[in-house]
Amino acid sequence: MTSQPVRQHILSHAAADQAATQPVAEAVSGQPGDSPTVVPLRVDLAQTGFNPALLRLPAIESAAVTLSLVVDLVPGWKPRKNPLKCIGLTLPEGMNFAPARPAATPAAAEACGLLRKPDAGVDHAAAGACDCGDRDSSGTVAAVPKKKTRIRPPADALSLQDRLFYLLQPPLESWLAGQELIMPFEPFAYQYEGIAWLFARHSALLADEMGLGKTMQTITGIRLLLRSGQIRRVLLICPKPLIPNWQREFRTWAEELPVVTIEGTGARRKMLWTLPGACILIANYEAMTRDLNEIPPEEQPKFDLLVLDEAQRIKNRDSRTAETARAVNRRRSWALTGTPIENRPEELAALFEFMEVIPARSSPDLRQLSRLAREHILRRTKDLVMKDMPPRIDRDAELELTDAQQAAYTTAEKEGIVQLNDLGESISVQHVFELVLRLKQITNYDPLTGESAKLERLVADMEEVAASGGKAILFSQWTKTLDWLNVRLQQFNPLIYHGGVPTPKREPILAKFKNDPDAHLILMSYGTGAVGLNLQFAGYVFLYDRWWNPAIEDQAINRAHRIGVKNPVIVTRFISKNTIEERIDRVLREKRELFAAVLGDGDNSNVSLSLNASEIFGLFDLKARHKDGSRSIGPAHPEAA
Amino acid sequence: MSGSVKSEQLRLGFLETLEIEGRGYVGGLLITNNFGRPLEFQCTTPVKPNRPQEILYGGSLLPWLLGELIGGTLLERVSIKPDLVVTSDPDILELRNHTQIPVVCALAEQEPDGIPVTPGSTMRFGGQRLRFHDAHPVDADRLAGQRHLIPDQADLTEPLERVREALAETVRTVFAR
Repeated sequence: MTSQPVRQHILSHAAADQAATQPVAEAVSGQPGDSPTVVPLRVDLAQTGFNPALLRLPAIESAAVTLSLVVDLVPGWKPRKNPLKCIGLTLPEGMNFAPARPAATPAAAEACGLLRKPDAGVDHAAAGACDCGDRDSSGTVAAVPKKKTRIRPPADALSLQDRLFYLLQPPLESWLAGQELIMPFEPFAYQYEGIAWLFARHSALLADEMGLGKTMQTITGIRLLLRSGQIRRVLLICPKPLIPNWQREFRTWAEELPVVTIEGTGARRKMLWTLPGACILIANYEAMTRDLNEIPPEEQPKFDLLVLDEAQRIKNRDSRTAETARAVNRRRSWALTGTPIENRPEELAALFEFMEVIPARSSPDLRQLSRLAREHILRRTKDLVMKDMPPRIDRDAELELTDAQQAAYTTAEKEGIVQLNDLGESISVQHVFELVLRLKQITNYDPLTGESAKLERLVADMEEVAASGGKAILFSQWTKTLDWLNVRLQQFNPLIYHGGVPTPKREPILAKFKNDPDAHLILMSYGTGAVGLNLQFAGYVFLYDRWWNPAIEDQAINRAHRIGVKNPVIVTRFISKNTIEERIDRVLREKRELFAAVLGDGDNSNVSLSLNASEIFGLFDLKARHKDGSRSIGPAHPEAA
Repeated sequence: MSGSVKSEQLRLGFLETLEIEGRGYVGGLLITNNFGRPLEFQCTTPVKPNRPQEILYGGSLLPWLLGELIGGTLLERVSIKPDLVVTSDPDILELRNHTQIPVVCALAEQEPDGIPVTPGSTMRFGGQRLRFHDAHPVDADRLAGQRHLIPDQADLTEPLERVREALAETVRTVFAR
């Protein structure tokens, strides 16, 4: 169908005056040539004087318009699915292990956190009453805390995928509450935080004070990283005496994890280093240094995580141990120590170099060290996290030497000083050091007569300890002194634990000390007994002679005063009056006070206050005569004991 | 210790959305195993309904936007398909009309006004009471057979918090420009 063209004509012919009052005629014709039809339209015109112009006929044009016979709907719209862009993240599958043993009873399951309600639990004050950390299996268990510890992405996780990986992990409390991983004991809140902190870091220095559970936090961090597929192969290096301790703790906290200890002949050790499928390797520092330096570079084993326990062992950057540790092929580096700084802040730089957070051989200043410490070091002290822990009671037993001891001491000191003076310019700190050791040994007992003021006092104290069914730990610098004491303290069924005891025999000794009610005393050397052992069931500690460094003494004391301790720990330091011991004690005390005054934070337990050469000379009113006046003397570490 | 453990598996999906002021909505879907360990995560870019959509969808706008559009897209994208999708938003239950996977809304024990939830459309699963889509009552029967795979006291709302945090992190680092 076509539309008809329409022609329109509009005529206007009104006079100006008429236009103002008359309607304007409009004509529309239907066909061409038709007579126009006049349509009356009224137009009001203003009196402007130009109205005569309206007398002219307007120019009219016409155009053809096509009429549409279809009605359009505008605007058109229909629902459609907009394509959405997505951002995705696939998380590693992780490792699955054989299911842990189910709890034997509902009560046991509840105690282990297996039956946790979403909001069930108690506050951390109550949870803090439970026994956990580096503990034995005798601890009590509190209900699951209400708080949720989430893993936070570290500052150096920049990509969105990395950050989402950490944010999407479940709260540690539910992860570890027995739904997937059975924990034998409920960790404390600060331990959850430590685990979450370790989990998220490639470079970490866990520097919690001794006794707060660095071992447990490390094992659980490893466990979670293995579970989440972040790591598959771990190397743990520790001092040799601590290997049985780590083995035991792995059995306690992660019994499903296979642990291989590097030991045996050279060929066997080499096979173990490269053993495929070995999930966790444990080795001591000496084995690491010896074995890895013998393996060709192309055959060096690779690890996802290297953990150094008692990491102060690599504080000397140039030592072969430190160089070997830094050369281990690894992706993550964790260091554990309760004493990150033993003598100088530069020791921290050695640890940071191992952790690969500073360039090799660089020497960051204190401001830079402090900034790095905030990101890479986690340190908590017992004062901060264990406010309800029974106190440690220190008491100094200042003893007069017996007559025989005094005579021997006086003679030895006089002769020694004469000999030192006779040495003239050839005197060295080693000469002075030898005299100090000789005098200290006499304060322990007179080698000729066997008299000992310390022994008399010790026997008196031990009779009380034994009568009350208590247990005590005695530390000495010398294994010879320990053997001497062992003979004279048989009424207390003493046990001996020092470097001369073969490693396989050490665990049974500790077990006997714990379980035998008649074993009231264990005699330990600082070197072997000061680190890594859990003896919180002992309520008494005797320091029969003093170590050179209060930090080492603190480590020894913290074998007993640690998490899980139920009663106050009484620490007795034997100091012979008017002897070299009293002078050393005074110097160390002054240095500790000076350091506390400088730092002012009260946390000076991580600082070694070892005597340097000048101070050793000063003990006998001698002067350091050589350029090594500031060099520390004495054993670098109690392993030498 | 042994290698991988073959056992009956239940994959859970946790779906949440987040409104960004002026930019619309983003959604995230977290797939976990039955212990809540994350396996996969997908999130959308922001989507904002236009004016005609707001007018024409009316009250069904959010169920369409959050459930069908965002939820449906995410469910298509994940490579690990869940056996159950959990959300805290009743609007997302609309997703059930576009998938064969049961979609449930984790409820508080009581509605905000104190009226107990309708017992007929809910069931207890893990530590939560779950609400099903009214048009799919068979979902309750399907889930009842998998109840034993979830610990009785499991907190099914906790992973939703993780999804919300992950969405907030994504918005902060990617879409906030």
